[in-house]
Amino acid sequence: MNVARERVYIDADILIIGGGTAGCLAAYEARQVGGDDLKIVILEKAFIRNSGALSAGMNALNMYLNQGTPEDLVSYIRYDMCGAPVREDILLSVAELVNETVAMMEQEGLPIKKKPDGSYLNRGKWNIEINGSLLKPITANMAIKTRARVYNRVHVTDLIKVDDQVGGCVGFGVRDGKFYVARGKVVMVCAGGAAGIWRPRGQGDAHHRIWYYPFNTGGSYAMCKRAGAKMLGFDSRLVPVRTKDTYSATGTLAIGMGAPMVNAQGEAFMQEREEYIKMGGHTAPTPIRVLAYCREMENHRGPCYMDTTRGDPERVEGLKAQYLDMAPCLVLYWGCNDINPAREPIEIDAADPSIVGAHAACAGAWTIGNSRMTTVERLFVSGDALGGAPSRFISGTWTCGRLAGRSMVGYLKERRPELLGLDPAMVDALEAGVFAPLERFNRCSFYTNGDPMDGVSPGQMEARMQNIMEEYCGGRSRWFYVNETNLGIARKLINRLRREQLQYLVAADLHDLQLAWDVINRLDVCQLVVEHIDYRKETRYPGYVNRTDYPGVDEEYDCFITSEWDPNTDTLSFFREPYEQIVPGDRKCQTL
Amino acid sequence: MPPYVIPDKCDGCQGERVPMCEVVCPGNLMVIDKASGKAVCREPGDCWDCMTCTKSCARQAIQTRIQYQMAFFPGKLIPLVGTHSVTWTLIDCHGHVERFIMRTLAGEEDEET
Repeated sequence: MNVARERVYIDADILIIGGGTAGCLAAYEARQVGGDDLKIVILEKAFIRNSGALSAGMNALNMYLNQGTPEDLVSYIRYDMCGAPVREDILLSVAELVNETVAMMEQEGLPIKKKPDGSYLNRGKWNIEINGSLLKPITANMAIKTRARVYNRVHVTDLIKVDDQVGGCVGFGVRDGKFYVARGKVVMVCAGGAAGIWRPRGQGDAHHRIWYYPFNTGGSYAMCKRAGAKMLGFDSRLVPVRTKDTYSATGTLAIGMGAPMVNAQGEAFMQEREEYIKMGGHTAPTPIRVLAYCREMENHRGPCYMDTTRGDPERVEGLKAQYLDMAPCLVLYWGCNDINPAREPIEIDAADPSIVGAHAACAGAWTIGNSRMTTVERLFVSGDALGGAPSRFISGTWTCGRLAGRSMVGYLKERRPELLGLDPAMVDALEAGVFAPLERFNRCSFYTNGDPMDGVSPGQMEARMQNIMEEYCGGRSRWFYVNETNLGIARKLINRLRREQLQYLVAADLHDLQLAWDVINRLDVCQLVVEHIDYRKETRYPGYVNRTDYPGVDEEYDCFITSEWDPNTDTLSFFREPYEQIVPGDRKCQTL
Repeated sequence: MPPYVIPDKCDGCQGERVPMCEVVCPGNLMVIDKASGKAVCREPGDCWDCMTCTKSCARQAIQTRIQYQMAFFPGKLIPLVGTHSVTWTLIDCHGHVERFIMRTLAGEEDEET
């Protein structure tokens, strides 16, 4: 087959990879400060109005100042990460603007629940309740109305690097099969975090019934890593303890109605057991609450529940409705399991870990000051791709996207960068790489059932990867425990997959080619995870990563740990960046 | 809750270049079966249960079913989308019916609310 593949060339001032929570608001804000002539392009893997982690909706915004100051919020976020270093400069910039962003989104049509006095209905100190089933269309509208040029169904596979700068990206049309070559004077990666690294609890037709959005497959991290950006936080994976089977969010239960976690004996263990009271009790940091749940289960005091019968009766009555705005499957699950959440406790379970930067974990690219630019010139990040600044959630990610938009416009005005010229031979090589799994399939012979004799499908490789990570990198079936021996095996096997086995990866069609790139990217994330967990010879986030060989905290690691990938040796070099405490006070306490 | 398409209701969005469920699916999972001209989820296990396709179908031809490994049969959850709200009908596995009207957009209320 020698027919030349059709190419689409795109040039932009600002090129945004990922039309999600951060990307849409970055486009909006860039237009506000950059003017009408700015050419803003968004490349979106799915359909921008309905794609991404917001696709099912959400019933709360988990970053909002109902009281206190931005400093108080940063103090809370730091506390919630067990006092570990966080990028306080970034978090403060977001906290200062988040309430304004929320007010703006309400104007755009987002229904925010109100108290009788007209103020927002708060859920605890830092959250407000919404009717968020249309969160994504409302968010996408910000990009559409600002006349960003949106290309839907374009799967970006790699950044284009010219010398030491990023000048664009390549990818393929998921539906049209075309080769896309996009250039930007600046490029922003905001393509979500990484789900599906570890083996999920559900199998077969439920293997995607996981907490995090399964189509966020680590492209953000993999592309930034491969471009040589410094990365951090891959040792702070998020372990979601959520409703059993459906893994729906539990903030609605815990913060919304004050339902405590209880064990099989009905003991509200966070408040009643001395060992957990010492670690913060009911309001202990997120990783600690995961740890406590796991300990109860390991010590045979499970099953565990969120006890809604001890919650606020008024709010418990409306529970099904609240979940319809965010996790409708849980409502049907209750209906088909004879569960009345107002009358009985809701069983919980720990899910497969997720790699995220905008929820309660720190994964992502290292950024310079408050610029949102990575250590690679012209390459910006936001949303889950931005590391070291956890717990921004949806409202903080909108805001963070806005700030990234402003920063990119500032960079354009100040530095006046031109589009970079691309060597045609390099573009040809990139094209060959993008479509390689498809081309290999075309050369295969086939068994009688239609399976290729000469290759491995994306699904097969994903299963192998998930088994390795599950068993040797502390999956849920291992209670999130790791040690050096396990990590060594994980490293050996993941490296073998990455270095020797990818040549066998085949894709039958364009959808399969997406899945193939999902595996390639996830394997890059696996490398980051294994090496970062191994480098941190301590347990700073108990519950998220429990190192049996280094169970304590070591002051030597009280800093940011970053890594940079060397393409020649396929290894990571590690660096330590000093932690700057801006908000004064004991990091293991909240100021409010 | 992967989507299953009811053949008598789906008309493949006749006349549309790309049928609505295929347009919206975040996972690129909904496709038109060439032989029947009707929509099908190419891999139910890959679905995240966001229900966007179900809500978007003008003919209410898509039913989302909860995975049997997690819950008993039969039971249904049916969304009816209005301009500013969505009306959900939950029919549990014993046939009991509950209805919920949820606001989706700020602004004027729907006539049905």
